[in-house]
Amino acid sequence: MTITLDIVTTAALLFVVATGLLVIFGVLKIINFAHGAFLTIGAYGALATTAFNLNPWLSFPLAFVIGAAVGLLVERLVVRPLYDRPLDAILATWGLGIVISQFITLGFGREIQFARSPLSGTISVLGETYSAYRLVALAITVAVGISFAVLIEGTRLGLSARAVIMNEDLARGLGIDTYRVRRMTFVVGCGLAALAGALITPLSSVDPNMGVPWLINAFMLVMVAGSSFVSLALAALILGGAQVVVSSYFSPILGGMTIVLLSAVVLRLRPAGFGRG
Amino acid sequence: MAEETIIDSAAPLTQSASPEPRRLRAIAVVVAALAILIAAGPFVLDTYMVNILIRAFHYALVALTVDLLWGYAGILTFGQAAFFGIGAYAAALVFTHIGFSPATITLAVVLALLAPALTGLLVGWLSFYPGSTPLYASVVSLAFPIVVTQIIFSGGTFTGSSSGLVGYQVFDLSIEAWFWIAGGALVVCGALAFIFVKSEMARVLVAIRDNEERCSYLGINTPRVKILLTALLAGIAGLAGFSYANFSAVVAPELTSFVFGTELVIYVALGGRGTLIGPVLGTIGIDVLSSYLSGDLPYVWKLIVGLIFIAVIVALPNGMAQLAKIAWRKVARGRGAIVSRPLAVRLHAKPAPAASTARLEIAHVSKSFGSLKVLEGIDLTIVDGELVSLVGPNGAGKTTLMRCISDGRERSGGQVRVNGVDIGSKPPFRIAALGLGRKFQTAGIFESLTVAECLRIACALNDQPSFLHPLEELALPAAAQLVIDVTGLADVLSREARFLSHGQKQALELAMVLALEPRIILLDEPTAGLTKSERARIGRVLVDLVAQYRLAVVLVEHDLDFVREISSRVVVLHQGRIVLDGTVAEVVGSQIVRNIYLGTV
Repeated sequence: MTITLDIVTTAALLFVVATGLLVIFGVLKIINFAHGAFLTIGAYGALATTAFNLNPWLSFPLAFVIGAAVGLLVERLVVRPLYDRPLDAILATWGLGIVISQFITLGFGREIQFARSPLSGTISVLGETYSAYRLVALAITVAVGISFAVLIEGTRLGLSARAVIMNEDLARGLGIDTYRVRRMTFVVGCGLAALAGALITPLSSVDPNMGVPWLINAFMLVMVAGSSFVSLALAALILGGAQVVVSSYFSPILGGMTIVLLSAVVLRLRPAGFGRG
Repeated sequence: MAEETIIDSAAPLTQSASPEPRRLRAIAVVVAALAILIAAGPFVLDTYMVNILIRAFHYALVALTVDLLWGYAGILTFGQAAFFGIGAYAAALVFTHIGFSPATITLAVVLALLAPALTGLLVGWLSFYPGSTPLYASVVSLAFPIVVTQIIFSGGTFTGSSSGLVGYQVFDLSIEAWFWIAGGALVVCGALAFIFVKSEMARVLVAIRDNEERCSYLGINTPRVKILLTALLAGIAGLAGFSYANFSAVVAPELTSFVFGTELVIYVALGGRGTLIGPVLGTIGIDVLSSYLSGDLPYVWKLIVGLIFIAVIVALPNGMAQLAKIAWRKVARGRGAIVSRPLAVRLHAKPAPAASTARLEIAHVSKSFGSLKVLEGIDLTIVDGELVSLVGPNGAGKTTLMRCISDGRERSGGQVRVNGVDIGSKPPFRIAALGLGRKFQTAGIFESLTVAECLRIACALNDQPSFLHPLEELALPAAAQLVIDVTGLADVLSREARFLSHGQKQALELAMVLALEPRIILLDEPTAGLTKSERARIGRVLVDLVAQYRLAVVLVEHDLDFVREISSRVVVLHQGRIVLDGTVAEVVGSQIVRNIYLGTV
């Protein structure tokens, strides 16, 4: 039972971490390698709420706003000139990740720190005691997933974004301001990354390079998922589940490379990954 | 050689010998000058600097391999550090666990070469397969070092886990000797790399980068080329790692990490990808500066490197080398010098092979996407001396049929035999080797190569490109020669293909397909977008080719007047089926064809 809960909550965390990356990849067709740094920004946002003795629940909206604001700046300066050079965009955003983590180091120090959790203790689920916060994180993930589905399916921006994903030239021809769609998508993606960072903070420590392992796993999941949220959820569940199983029954070190290795093999055998195609 | 004609002499050369020895002499002079610098280094630099430079030389050696992969072959790799690390660990593991003797040294060298090379084969096999994307190769190159690092972490005392291995016995060499070894190795490898990147084989890499699909339809096994390149460069990186493990007497998992792999990419990008010298100077410059500055400005220095890196990627994609080039051009123009002079290429006519028969047999071929049937029950046989036009309205399945003939994995059912051989599920490069050439609808050429180089790539199947020599002589099959003569391409052999007009590009691709010496050629709208006169010229060439060289030609064409003038036979496709197969007169007079084109069937 515990392992099932572990799998589901781990998958949820992977999903919420990868969502921002997927959104940006789907619409902009570039990989934001600064994603891990945005995650770290969110984590330090959560740390700031602890430092200033604010309500820990505030860390989530705060992280989203900070991430989105930095994203807006970055889109203008770094990402926009590289829309036509996707491989270069990977490199430039990786450089951006270095810059962000150095700024964080300068501002907060390089040591490992801890943020206060909004919720501690355990609750009983079907006779098992389980971390209350992990379940809350699961609920928040589901909420993020649902609100995202609403945003994509029910709003004008969502419609435009879907049009850009399917056929950008045609979308532009139909009068959609694709640059605005790209900008908004990038900003939302960065905000989501920071929100995810704040969400994982109570479960782990915080340090300036904490985002890198998450970036790698999220990147692999997005590659496997293509640009579909359903595939992403599926990939997070299957590959994240495999990670939990390997970590618990074999070795945590092997668990750390499960997602990376399985994703590479899945893509080799089926280039479309878990998506259709 | 039956006859020899010097056709290209755009810039008549005055030298008696070919430029090749002169180039080698220039390289020798530069190598000698660098050797003197390296020899003098330890006597003029302080010990700290010498130490830093030895490390930087090792890194620069690996950066060279990154540049060959990324700058020339277009493979962005984050994993090159892992090969370096595997080589280093091979040495450290052998010396730690087995001991230090001539036998174990030999073993360690062999392992440091073979282990990375074999891993390189595996990584290459994962990364490159028909239809793989550059992004996927980068994904694998990212995953690979992570896996290697995790394996080292989980190796316990055998690999030293996170603290690495230290205290193993190494060569007892002075710091000067290490400087000479590392510097010498860098100069030698740099010179070899320089010779290689000017060679015909390096042009093949650029061609694959520019247009991989075109390469595979010219009979080049592109995944194999990339896999072998990866393995070779992995072996070189591994040897550099071997040397580094002996110099530093310590190995740590960070050597294999993708973070180090990414740093190498940063060095290469800053120095200028695709220039060799840029990445070497970039690596040495940044590594030396880092050693001096990271002590004083620990985080700020890394921040500055990060900012410069972003700025270079965004604004100066070809790195510092680009700045140097721009500056050099300004100086050179001031002195009225000519910056670059294209090499002339001597053309030989290749004797035509004894005419053989050609036969393309298509039996019951079908193609469907789910429940949608695009082709159904296609039966067709075409032999040498025939010029068969495939006509039909848009969506009739003409291009699909071309694809099913030239790529064995395309059709859903039926059989295709090329010159008597069943194509089974062979990929395009194997079918090309059976004697089938395909010209695409939009001209597939190699934008950054010259006309002569494009043609050279097309000859690669029958004439192995050299790893050492640049392109100086081109033995062109007579049919290809005919096309470049008639269309005027012979006068612009040294021009880069991207500067050609649309019509010239189409003609170049046709010449490339013919340079492959196929017996059967498939032409998908070879005259699309051409002017009336260009069209007439191509038409005459095609008729000549069929008459003179007894080729079998299949042509997809919309212009029925053009079809009528040149075809020996016309096949009408409609909704995925052959509705008519006959002479020009039969088809032109047919009521069915008229109805199809009027849309009443």
